[in-house]
Amino acid sequence: MQQLINALLKYKNSLFYLGLLLLSIIFLNQRSFYHQSLFSEISLSISSRLNLYSQGLVNYFSLKKINQKLRAENENLKVLELAYQHNKVDKADVLESFGFKITGARIIKNSFDKARNYILIDKGEADGIETDTGVISSDGIIGIINQTTESFSSILSILHRDLKINASFKKNGSYGSMSWQGNHPKKMKLDDISTLNPVSIGDTIVTGGMSDYFPYGIPLGTVSKIERPEFEGYYDIDIELFSNLTQKEFVYIIKNKNLDQIEKLNPDE
Amino acid sequence: MNSNNLLSVFQFILLLFLQVFLLNNINLFGFINPNLYLLFFIVYRFDSNPTILIFLGFLMGLLLDLLTQGSGAHTIAALTIAFVRPIIIRTSFGINFDIPMGMIEGTQLNQRILYILMMIIIHHLLLYIIVYFSFDSVFIILKNTIFTSFFTFIMVYISLGLFKKEQND
Repeated sequence: MQQLINALLKYKNSLFYLGLLLLSIIFLNQRSFYHQSLFSEISLSISSRLNLYSQGLVNYFSLKKINQKLRAENENLKVLELAYQHNKVDKADVLESFGFKITGARIIKNSFDKARNYILIDKGEADGIETDTGVISSDGIIGIINQTTESFSSILSILHRDLKINASFKKNGSYGSMSWQGNHPKKMKLDDISTLNPVSIGDTIVTGGMSDYFPYGIPLGTVSKIERPEFEGYYDIDIELFSNLTQKEFVYIIKNKNLDQIEKLNPDE
Repeated sequence: MNSNNLLSVFQFILLLFLQVFLLNNINLFGFINPNLYLLFFIVYRFDSNPTILIFLGFLMGLLLDLLTQGSGAHTIAALTIAFVRPIIIRTSFGINFDIPMGMIEGTQLNQRILYILMMIIIHHLLLYIIVYFSFDSVFIILKNTIFTSFFTFIMVYISLGLFKKEQND
């Protein structure tokens, strides 16, 4: 204690000076706007630097947590990336080989309760979509593009009374045209199958290769009812579709790359 | 209260008012205002209490700033010159100075001038550094310091002669 007092007495001038200096600086700070702004600037720069250091220190201690978070995020992204790569390679390779180009799209509007139904998707001319190209989904066909804008397209759904799709029996290749009667979204009618061909209930119907829009062999549905009118040479066949058009979300637009060559050889058009 | 203290109080008040009401309005060449109040710190007795001088320096600067609407630079400069005065004395007159009556009598001329110049220049430099407080204004600070110091020195030297005569009377 005595030493403390001695030290205080020894440095009393310096301490006194420092105290008064502090007072004068406060006085200066109060009176001069220039100095005030200068002091606040200095204090801001000091405090921001200190904050930066302390922030860095705090971050250092939470590195482990951040690392774990990043790793989890990376795993998620990796899964997505692999899935994407997988899909991309599969579709492109298979479809490339038989002359169709494929583009994915999302349905933004769908209807199935009218006699003539249309679907809107979120891809348009900007994505290379053209009219008169086919649209399929993962388990069947959807329809045909009939109008495009810059970034949207409308699809003529197969649930449309005026649309006829070339379809054939998977077992023997006999073909006819499939159309919708406007009743149930899963029931279609298959016409023009000659009575020469043996048919039975449960036969699989696929797309016929004679369409400009769809490649051969996309499964459509199964035969659910067969009628044989007496004085006609054609069956009256009902089909039950595999795909449920009332709950589709993603579709693929498939464009026939050789369409111009086919049209050149087709004398009807 | 002895006569020395009375003289100091008298000097303090006289120099303060002289500075505030006369010398700060000179504006020679537009910017030179001699700071004659430094005379108080120069002639303050060497053997008096330095702590009191520090307080007087603070008071002098504070009153000066308050009366002249100054920013507070005089407060810091006067306070600091009062604090470093013992160091300046030691530098100018040597470690073993023994001049209890102040520096007027019995000191060599060059030591006396060195002492006065150091007091004035350190004070002015500090004053203008605080007033401008920016690296961009180094030349203005130096110019103001040199010219104002010169005129302050002349006035201090003349006044020292007057005080000497007064003391002799």
